[in-house]
Amino acid sequence: MALIQIAEPGQSTTAHQHRLAVGIDLGTTNSLVATVRSGEVDTLPDVDGSHLLPSIVHYGEGEVHVGTRAQQYSVSDPWNTIVSVKRFMGRGAEDISAKDEHYSYTFAETDSAVPRIKTRSGNVSAVEVSAEILKNLKQRAIKTLGDELSGAVITVPAYFDDAQRQATKDAAKLADINVLRLLNEPTAAAVAYGLDTGNEGVIAVYDLGGGTFDISILRLNKGVFEVMATGGNSSLGGDDFDYVIAQWINEQADFSDADDPAFRRLVMQHARSAKEALAEHDSVSINIEAVNGSWQGALDRNKLKDLLTPLVKQTLMSCRRAMRDADVENEDIREVVMVGGSTRTLVVREMVADFFQCQPLTSIDPDKVVATGAALQADVLVGNKPDDEMLLLDVIPLSLGIETMGGLVEKIIHRNTAIPVAKAQDFTTYKDGQTAMAVHVLQGERELVSDCRSLARFELRGFPPQVAGAARIRVTFQVDADGLLIVSAREENSGVEASVDVKPSYGLSDSEVESMLRESIEHAEHDMHLRTLREQQVEAERVIEALDSAIDSDGDQLLSEDERQQINNARQVLVETKSGSDVDAIERAIKQLEAACEVYVARRMNTNIKTAMQGHSIEEYASEQSLDAKAAEAKVEE
Amino acid sequence: MPKDILTSNFFELFELPVSYDVDLNKIQQHYMALQKQVHPDKYTSGTDQEKRLSMQQTSWINEAQATLKDPVARATYLLKLKGTDINLENETTMDAGFLMRQLEVRERLENIRDEKDPLVSLDQMSKELKSATEDMMKSFSEAYEADEIDDAREWIRKLQFMQKAKNEINSLSADLEDELMG
Repeated sequence: MALIQIAEPGQSTTAHQHRLAVGIDLGTTNSLVATVRSGEVDTLPDVDGSHLLPSIVHYGEGEVHVGTRAQQYSVSDPWNTIVSVKRFMGRGAEDISAKDEHYSYTFAETDSAVPRIKTRSGNVSAVEVSAEILKNLKQRAIKTLGDELSGAVITVPAYFDDAQRQATKDAAKLADINVLRLLNEPTAAAVAYGLDTGNEGVIAVYDLGGGTFDISILRLNKGVFEVMATGGNSSLGGDDFDYVIAQWINEQADFSDADDPAFRRLVMQHARSAKEALAEHDSVSINIEAVNGSWQGALDRNKLKDLLTPLVKQTLMSCRRAMRDADVENEDIREVVMVGGSTRTLVVREMVADFFQCQPLTSIDPDKVVATGAALQADVLVGNKPDDEMLLLDVIPLSLGIETMGGLVEKIIHRNTAIPVAKAQDFTTYKDGQTAMAVHVLQGERELVSDCRSLARFELRGFPPQVAGAARIRVTFQVDADGLLIVSAREENSGVEASVDVKPSYGLSDSEVESMLRESIEHAEHDMHLRTLREQQVEAERVIEALDSAIDSDGDQLLSEDERQQINNARQVLVETKSGSDVDAIERAIKQLEAACEVYVARRMNTNIKTAMQGHSIEEYASEQSLDAKAAEAKVEE
Repeated sequence: MPKDILTSNFFELFELPVSYDVDLNKIQQHYMALQKQVHPDKYTSGTDQEKRLSMQQTSWINEAQATLKDPVARATYLLKLKGTDINLENETTMDAGFLMRQLEVRERLENIRDEKDPLVSLDQMSKELKSATEDMMKSFSEAYEADEIDDAREWIRKLQFMQKAKNEINSLSADLEDELMG
């Protein structure tokens, strides 16, 4: 059991009550989980020793695969295999652009503002897909560490807007993870490099992952991290590198039907392998053979540089802007930290070194650096290091404001303002006798409402009628340490108030279905889920045990090799499923095993072999009785 | 948790003399020290009341820091402490020579795209603007210390022009970068 510990703030917690906390890097291409054990920080491997969990989810017949197992389906079953889902976190249907067409899965047509991906298990939202990845990492941590988690720090790109942060929190909630803090990825990376200890000065964190680019300018001072400015591009990353290389291959090879999703995925894989190999070698050969055609060719570093330079230049433009926002010059930057697998590409390292005029830091594995930093921060937040001086101060990445007359945005909190922050601004009425006012909350840098992202709308109603301009409506924006917003409005003369927790339009709470999902994880129901799960697992174990002893006694006489193989296959599926947490999947697996045993049961009955309890149990395979009734019967027999 | 944060003025908060010439490093150091005491991350297992107080205090400290770091906001705040409220939206300088120079800056910005390397030009203008702003800050400081409130007020109006020009240069740079990013 996890220790529930309540400590007075600022006071030491006693040393032996170590609480288990993890850092999770929920990445576009790969995800990781890390923790601090006996003072050492490590990323945790899965049973096969692999630290990176590919952020891929496959929706199969009645079961969900995550990671490497899901990856195996990306060529054979691309429509049900979701990759790079992070790109769609907190995104609305209208944000899904033509550019996203190079993903093989399709989006369902729905009325909901939340885009849903079509799979054979129904339509799923990005939040649900991400929750599957988080669940997998959580299980990995619990299995490795042997204890329940007190909480997790989950990292997000610094560029994520409110909707995207909220979506990430919702995914964690669905996975039943207590989020201690959302942490900007670049900040986590700087923590991992230990730049917080004994260092002062300005550093840049250049984070080029699979699907996102972030640049952060941080100032370090005696253990305090201050984000001075952030910038980047939430849809630019290594995937785009692969994409331009794949396009180049297609141009060279002139394949037939190059748009076939499975084939497209295959070419992308070759493109990626070639890119990765060029970090080690000067030139690589590419060899593609498929029904769509075959092609053999070579890619060298110079050609790669030609292909990737325009993309890397885009990232440097973002760097320029972030430095200006932070009001620093190239020569003020003391260190550049490289994060994300795409920074292994030599072109990137060269161009970054050239731009900042200093050799970037690359000693920590760029894939693990973010999770490592998150784990260190989780350890501090959960109270394991009460004397630690580390403190992370953040800024909001995008300006927040409200709509005023004429479809214009009045900014209330400007981009790169330190958080938490509260700002108020007074507005007044436009017409005589007006008794209500609509507040439309927006995020973005542009002047026009139509160019900004709508976060929420609410109305302040029922203040007394006054002449135009007499009412004094104070609108207050409050942003907490996670960057989440609460807006309230108050008519000062009458004291009428209204407020809204900004649940972004694309958050989980948007539609009926999602509110049901949310309810399903309320505590009571969570406990009930655990109970049903345990019941179903017990049932599965009972069925397997009964089958095993029956086969032991007469399996050889009654079953052919084939029949026995079939039963064994179904049995194997049940064994695998029952260790998971999907109640329905276990139930289905039991039913499938029952079906596979039908012939066997019939034969046993015919030969009238009496095997007291086991025999009785096997008769039940064919029965249609509810599981509860079966459980009751089993009890009676005992 | 320190209690008097919310009732301190911004200079008291950072233990500074009430003056326009502030030591930005000292502000930064005090800011960090205060944050270490009050930031919400220090109260993750505190009571709701503590969390709320921590949030309010951190917000106040953030506002104090932002105000003192900003040349116009700091000047305006100083006059406010002296009992002079300035509404910058409704007043502007009448200095014809100054206004003429501002107009020239605007015109150059409007045509900056026609220059050979607009981003380099913008960087250069930004540097010139910075040095002119520093001169005006000095002038404000002298007027303020001499208790010449009307003069001080006039320098704030001018400083505000400089700030607007800086914002325009920045947003123009951003637009150009966007275009170059494609």
